Amino acid sequence: MNLAWVVPLFPLCSFVLLLWFGRKWKQTSAYVGIAATLLSLLAAFGVLVSRLGGATYEANWTWMKIGDATLTVGVSVTALNAWMLVVVALVSWLVHIYSQGYMAGDERFSTFYAYLGLFTFAMLGLVLSPNLLQAYMFWELVGLGSFLLIGFYFYKEEAKAAAKKAFIMTRIGDVGFLIGVLLLFWQTKSFDYDDIFRAVGNGTLSPGMTTLTAILIFIGAIGKSGQFPLHTWLPDAMEGPTPVSALIHAATMVAAGVYLVAALFPLYEASAAAMMTVAVIGGGTAVFAATIGLVQTDIKRVLAYSTISQLGYMMLALGSGSYVAAIFHLTTHAFFKALLFLAAGSVIHAVHTQNIEEMGGLWRRLPWTAPLFLVGALSISGVPLFAGFFSKDEILAAAWTNGSVGLFWLAVAAALLTSFYMFRLFFLVFAGEARHRHDGAVHEAPMSMTAPMVVLGVLSVAAGYIQTPWFGSFLGEWLTDGAYHHEAAPGWIAVVAASVSLAGILLAWLMYGKRTVPRDWLSARAPYGYELLRRHYYMDDLYRSTVVALVSSISRLLGYVDRYLVEGLVQFVTGTVNAIAAAGSRGQNGQAQTYGLVAAAGLAMLVVIFALTGGDWL
Amino acid sequence: MTFLSLLVFSPLLGIGLLAWVRKTETNMIQWIGTAATVPPLLLSLFAFIQSVRGFPLERLDEAHHWVRLADFPFLTDAAYVIRYELGIDGLSLLFIVLTAVLGTLAAVASLLVNEEKKGYFMWLLALEVGMLGVFAAANFIWFFFFLEVTLVAMFLLVGKWGGFERERAAYSYLLYNGFGSALLLVVIAVLVARTGTANFALLGDMLHHPVAEGQLIAPLTSEARHWLLGGLLLAFAFKLPAVPLHRWLIRVHVEAPPPVVMLHAGVLLKIAAYGMIRFGIGLFPDEFRAFAGVIAALGVVNILYGALLALRQHELKHVLAYSSVSHMGVVLVGLGALNEAGIQGAIFQSIAHGLIAALSFLLVGVLADRWGTTDIRRLGGLAASMPVFSGYLLTAALALLGLPGLAGFVGEFTAFLGLFAKKPILAAVGALGLIFAAAYSLKAVLNVTFGRARGSQPPAGQSEPREAVADLRMNEAVPAFILVALIVAVGVYPQLLAGQLAAALETMMNGLGG
Repeated sequence: MNLAWVVPLFPLCSFVLLLWFGRKWKQTSAYVGIAATLLSLLAAFGVLVSRLGGATYEANWTWMKIGDATLTVGVSVTALNAWMLVVVALVSWLVHIYSQGYMAGDERFSTFYAYLGLFTFAMLGLVLSPNLLQAYMFWELVGLGSFLLIGFYFYKEEAKAAAKKAFIMTRIGDVGFLIGVLLLFWQTKSFDYDDIFRAVGNGTLSPGMTTLTAILIFIGAIGKSGQFPLHTWLPDAMEGPTPVSALIHAATMVAAGVYLVAALFPLYEASAAAMMTVAVIGGGTAVFAATIGLVQTDIKRVLAYSTISQLGYMMLALGSGSYVAAIFHLTTHAFFKALLFLAAGSVIHAVHTQNIEEMGGLWRRLPWTAPLFLVGALSISGVPLFAGFFSKDEILAAAWTNGSVGLFWLAVAAALLTSFYMFRLFFLVFAGEARHRHDGAVHEAPMSMTAPMVVLGVLSVAAGYIQTPWFGSFLGEWLTDGAYHHEAAPGWIAVVAASVSLAGILLAWLMYGKRTVPRDWLSARAPYGYELLRRHYYMDDLYRSTVVALVSSISRLLGYVDRYLVEGLVQFVTGTVNAIAAAGSRGQNGQAQTYGLVAAAGLAMLVVIFALTGGDWL
Repeated sequence: MTFLSLLVFSPLLGIGLLAWVRKTETNMIQWIGTAATVPPLLLSLFAFIQSVRGFPLERLDEAHHWVRLADFPFLTDAAYVIRYELGIDGLSLLFIVLTAVLGTLAAVASLLVNEEKKGYFMWLLALEVGMLGVFAAANFIWFFFFLEVTLVAMFLLVGKWGGFERERAAYSYLLYNGFGSALLLVVIAVLVARTGTANFALLGDMLHHPVAEGQLIAPLTSEARHWLLGGLLLAFAFKLPAVPLHRWLIRVHVEAPPPVVMLHAGVLLKIAAYGMIRFGIGLFPDEFRAFAGVIAALGVVNILYGALLALRQHELKHVLAYSSVSHMGVVLVGLGALNEAGIQGAIFQSIAHGLIAALSFLLVGVLADRWGTTDIRRLGGLAASMPVFSGYLLTAALALLGLPGLAGFVGEFTAFLGLFAKKPILAAVGALGLIFAAAYSLKAVLNVTFGRARGSQPPAGQSEPREAVADLRMNEAVPAFILVALIVAVGVYPQLLAGQLAAALETMMNGLGG
């Protein structure tokens, strides 16, 4: 365990090496990246195994001293982050392998792998952080990684805009996070998680401050995890290459927000208001994003909104007090969402379009991708026996036992929507006939792409069995170091969950598979509602016409102030001096009469003053 | 020992040699000019390494009798004696190393300057002497002398080798900074007249502790001290600059040749920060408290004002100029916090911004050289034709916006940490500047490097790009790499510098009363 710090080191080495030598190594770069993440994965397994003893490990080094205070960086291994290390390293490794096929032939192939390395390094570093300062630093580096990868196709204007948006939108959240961290420091005199929890425990931290800092830090999580209202960058982030989307949406970037709240769970638990905020934002986002997902026509955007929605679930679980359910869903989601994105990438690779209206009939043409996509879809929809079913069931149970009935039904509604839009996607892409002639033969992806998908496919089913009501709650035991007790939830919740998921699939089949219900059912009945969903509730337009407009008009106003007022004042001062000088020099004209006149006037003035004051001042 | 004198004045050797070289031998001039910056670099690095290894810097102090201003029978013999005094501590050493590093890199980058190279290098070296002297001076008279050397050298460098509106920029520079200097001179004159000494350490003692009979001509009342500190702060506010005294900075950033701006943004602005810390907090700690709130508020104004204006600029140099205003605001925020974290943050921000600004202007110089324009509307997609350059430019932008792991973050983080202890709401408002910083840095840099390739056609009236798509050359890539390496080093392991500052900071905190 004391070697835990090597886990993030491998991808960092890969980043540095590829940046330096990548252009020479070209396609070989992939092997460097794959090898580095494999080493990370093995090391992460090593850490997990050595954590089995149950001891928590922490090591710190001085980063900077400020007077008597010493700020440190270090690594800590807890049950939570040992688990996360494995999930992150595993997904990253699979994405590295997949990219070898997907990115083949790209001019900046090695750069892509370098960025993947940086991204993975940042996420692993975040997970290992024992204090909030270090977490914040890696948090921003995660943002950098995603920024670089989203903007990977730098020559596309859309990619440029998306990358910039991703960075700035998440930065808004980050500032909240930073303020929260700085406030916490002066309350607790420390950035260490443990010290903060101690302060929460012994009441050093006032309840008001607890709530305030918890919510401020949660704003950071809202930004990173694409929660309402800072979610708008996430769908645009689809401009990045598809393997990147898989990485961003599964184990890194967006998972960071959930992880942060989970890592700070004792802080949140101490404040009912903060918990409520997390739960409401989560539950609200779950439904909100799912409704948008219903009508999108870009395969990756549908998946993007589904990510936002699923992250909402995780936040809901956290806010409902079920830390285990959140991490469980984070894990299963990492697998099935990575699978779905990689499968989507494989589809895009085959047909060279992302518009699902132009697909169809791909079931037979993509014999590996199609069934694997189906597995992912079944899992995310929460069909019994698939991983998503168990983790979603846990969350629903958590919401119910927490007593938030409203949020519970919200989550159920989101589950229905999820299975509907996922199978809408599935039927439109794979079922029926091809609606569009694609250039060149549609062919299945190479082994390097299908193999990682198969692994994820297996995990999308198997991962559910680490925490089930039947075999045992292994994950719960692990995360709580054996102190897990499962709140008995009513059995009907599982039945409800299973039925809504099947209902959604059935509905999708009726509309897009069998087509007994016309496809324009919604757009014909509620054109405005449909448009509202299609334009993502006009959130982008709203921001453009409010926040962006406000900032740019203030900026313009200040521009005038700067140019005319500030500059004008200076001109006035220099102008005055110049004018006095000019007047003075005009007097120096060499004519005795002028000088005589000035002298006489001066004398007269003195006499007047003398007369008026009586000469006392002399 | 004459170590410090050697360090400060060694570039003079270069000036002497250059005087013997014919104007037309530009290669020779470039070599001599660059080589002349190396001795201070080596000496300062040597001093830094020795200091890290525990060498007491006081041992480098130098003092020689210079002039006697007045002779009063009722005062001690030492009164009104102005000596030639140099001396450094951890704080000044950091700035000296910064100056020496940037001096050499700017000399290398001056390869792009072609007109009147001889005169250019002579003044550049004079500027370096001035800057080194400012930080090495141990008394006010010599501090002021060196400060004026930089003023004259900078004025000529801008006025003669600058861009289109160079003369206007040079006079603007002279006007503002001359005013600041005049004010500073008044403060110094009053201090020296009242206390009979110009030595920093002695002044510090005399202002803090009851003085012995025959040392002081008249005591300084609390009111007088407030006025003196106010004058001092205002003088340095011209030079920092603080809004609304910043207009000259914009012109100089735009008009001065990029290598000169590397030194100007990199070091000259920091003299103001150094002055505020060394004299403001060092000499008038109690009075400084009264100003702390105003300084912090001004800092926040600087941050937001600079950032919001940077957001709407189309000229890359303008963006960077306003970003300098914004970043100097962080220095003020740190000083306004007036605690260990704040002051340390202000110092880190000064050093960090010095490195980052130098990197930015090094790259701006390359851009201007290749494309004849630095207008972001006319450029685009350079990542395709100049990938290495674009990589460095992006790094500079990330450093500007305060990405953790790079030097800028340490300064901003520490300064804000300081202010959060004192004025959390004001600090939170200032922290919004981080969002704008991300917006303007990325907007500017992405417009240049990302997107559709533009800029292949030189705009009307501009010269043809000399080498259409030449990426960074060796003489540009090496300085850029060194700067990035330093930025990363400070960002990843700030204790490297913080360790040097600890002693100086502790003295200051003792002055502030713990």
